[in-house]
Amino acid sequence: MKDIKLNIEQIEADVLCIGGGPAGLCAAIRASEKGANVVVADKSNTLRSGDAGMGNDHFMCHIPDVQGERPGFFSKIGKMSQAVTETFWENAYDLVKRWDSWGIPMKYEGKYEFAGHSMPGQPDFFLHFSGQNTKVKLTKQAKKTGVRIINRVMILDLIHDNGTIAGAIGFDVRESKLLVFKTKAVILATGKCMRLFPQNTGSLFNTSTSPINTGDGRAMAYRAGCELSDMELNDRWSGPKYFARNGRGSWMGVFKDPNGIQIGSGKEMTGHFYPQLHENYQKSGRGPVYMDLSDISDKEYEDMKYWLVHEANTPILDFFKEEGVDPKEHPFEFMTYGLFTPGGINYNEKCETPLAGLYAAGDEFMSFYIAGAAVFGSIAGESAASFAAKTKTSDEKHTQTLVVKTKEFLETVLNRTDGATWQEANSAIQQVMADYCGLVRSETMLTAGLEHLRRLKKKLPQVLMAQNTHELMRCVEVLNLFDIGEITFVAAQERKESRQHHHRVDFPFTNPMLNEQRLVVKNKKGQPVPEWRMKA
Amino acid sequence: MAAVIDKEKCNACGICVRICPTDVYYGSKAKEIPVVTYPEECWHCNACVHDCPQNAIHLRIPLTMQVAYKS
Ligand SMILES: Cc1cc2nc3c(=O)[nH]c(=O)nc-3n(C[C@H](O)[C@H](O)[C@H](O)COP(=O)(O)OP(=O)(O)OC[C@H]3O[C@@H](n4cnc5c(N)ncnc54)[C@H](O)[C@@H]3O)c2cc1C
Ligand code: SF4
Ligand code: SF4
Repeated sequence: MKDIKLNIEQIEADVLCIGGGPAGLCAAIRASEKGANVVVADKSNTLRSGDAGMGNDHFMCHIPDVQGERPGFFSKIGKMSQAVTETFWENAYDLVKRWDSWGIPMKYEGKYEFAGHSMPGQPDFFLHFSGQNTKVKLTKQAKKTGVRIINRVMILDLIHDNGTIAGAIGFDVRESKLLVFKTKAVILATGKCMRLFPQNTGSLFNTSTSPINTGDGRAMAYRAGCELSDMELNDRWSGPKYFARNGRGSWMGVFKDPNGIQIGSGKEMTGHFYPQLHENYQKSGRGPVYMDLSDISDKEYEDMKYWLVHEANTPILDFFKEEGVDPKEHPFEFMTYGLFTPGGINYNEKCETPLAGLYAAGDEFMSFYIAGAAVFGSIAGESAASFAAKTKTSDEKHTQTLVVKTKEFLETVLNRTDGATWQEANSAIQQVMADYCGLVRSETMLTAGLEHLRRLKKKLPQVLMAQNTHELMRCVEVLNLFDIGEITFVAAQERKESRQHHHRVDFPFTNPMLNEQRLVVKNKKGQPVPEWRMKA
Repeated sequence: MAAVIDKEKCNACGICVRICPTDVYYGSKAKEIPVVTYPEECWHCNACVHDCPQNAIHLRIPLTMQVAYKS
């Protein structure tokens, strides 16, 4: 019989940042600069964790001295409210300067360089930066500013009372320790939600963006009473076939069919804005689609490799090197990866959520990518610090009950010796999502799938088992995925039209009446309930 | 699959254990050559390869992840 016990440790601070990606770290730095006592908890290590762990190479922004007046179409980029979009463009350049001063090289050969990742016929809005060590520099700056970073702690639930936040509960993923954070404000910055849908790449961890981002922030916020937005509007990416990795826009060649005939008009980012290209070509019998670099100059090729290094693509470059194959001479295939969840906590321009003292930033709602994480991270930090300054630590009554309940549950999973591993449960949810709520959706399939998902979800607490706290982290991730999956089903049922990748065979048309509306899902007594909102 | 450590080159500094985002090296002990406990959770991000001061880590790309190219 196993008898693993979790020791309880309490940590007090003004502000807790959950997740130490660019959003969480920028939030922590700003809150600390504003005088708050700040702690960051990351389930990994902020030096290399999350989507930006091994680098990013382009940063969306507007620099008037370089680009002139801000083009009107910039205001249409992004999926959040107009106020959020305007706030982003107003603040992004400031973050460029701040990052540069923290040692992140935002200039290339002494100048700001806007290049690549552009839309056909539109001015460039992505600044090239040498970001391979962004996370190392942000971590250093956070420590310099007085932020306390606690790595290898997975946060699993928020503590709140009557709509006011009081902290969060987490556990050490390497030691048997339960951590109770008592803070005046909390910032959610846990990134995107991967591992909900299969990626068609052969394994659970072969994902284009970080496989450890499993929508934990979204799930915690939802359980605490925040609504989640756009959860049925899943998205897809494309990239090198079988080695799932973001960075497709940095491969500067053109797409060609098997006969060497170019697809699309050239370097116009077909792969960026039409990720299903590869899948559709294959289905129509014209595939595969190749990334062909043979026409670019040697200088362009060297530049491309430089930026791919900064965009975390060294493992693919190394693969080709070891294979003795030069990708310039050997076109390689691109593929369309599976669905993921960009929607989530639709925070406002101050990064507020409906819960007092709870803020969200970065990819908790994917928009503006790393630059958005920097801008809204900083704003969340500022908002949280000023909230904390006027708030007393809540003597939250049911904290104790919640701690006891959580401890008991986690210990049960840790001490169980017969049951379902996290891999089994993760594969089960992926199977249901793909078969019933995937690329083709209909009322009957959604209804049947949701019933099945709920049956499995109910069994999870009775069967999940973990050999240690590492596997416990994966189990809790899967529990979150089941919550997100259920919410996705409910939203997909409610949206009786087709839009983007939400394809309803029973409602194949896009309903223009819904263009100005947004679908949210709320937690009402433990049940996900959809509601429509006018877009702000 | 995943990370392969050259025991001759490794000086047991623990950097890879500290930074691996998915904690593939879970259970490694301080001042000992790291153990690859959860290879199937490797994201193949190259962080450990890049940050290892001894150049002791090599990624074996699993067959399921090998990029398909024209010969
Ligand atoms: C290969 C690649 C290349 C990219 N290139 C670009 C680019 O060039 N330009 C661009 O704009 N964008 C790019 N992106 C996207 C960009 O990296 C993200 O938009 C950005 O990192 C989002 O920042 P974030 O802080 O919101 O989330 P993340 O950076 O993903 O950080 C989330 C953090 O939360 C932690 N975490 C998650 N759950 C928990 C939990 N329960 N408890 C505690 N901690 C938790 C994670 O460990 C992680 O550290 C790229 C992404 C990838 C994967
Ligand atoms: S970083 Fe390199 S030298 Fe250090 S423990 Fe890991 S493998 Fe060994
Ligand atoms: S490649 Fe990345 S995920 Fe794999 S062991 Fe190294 S650091 Fe960990």
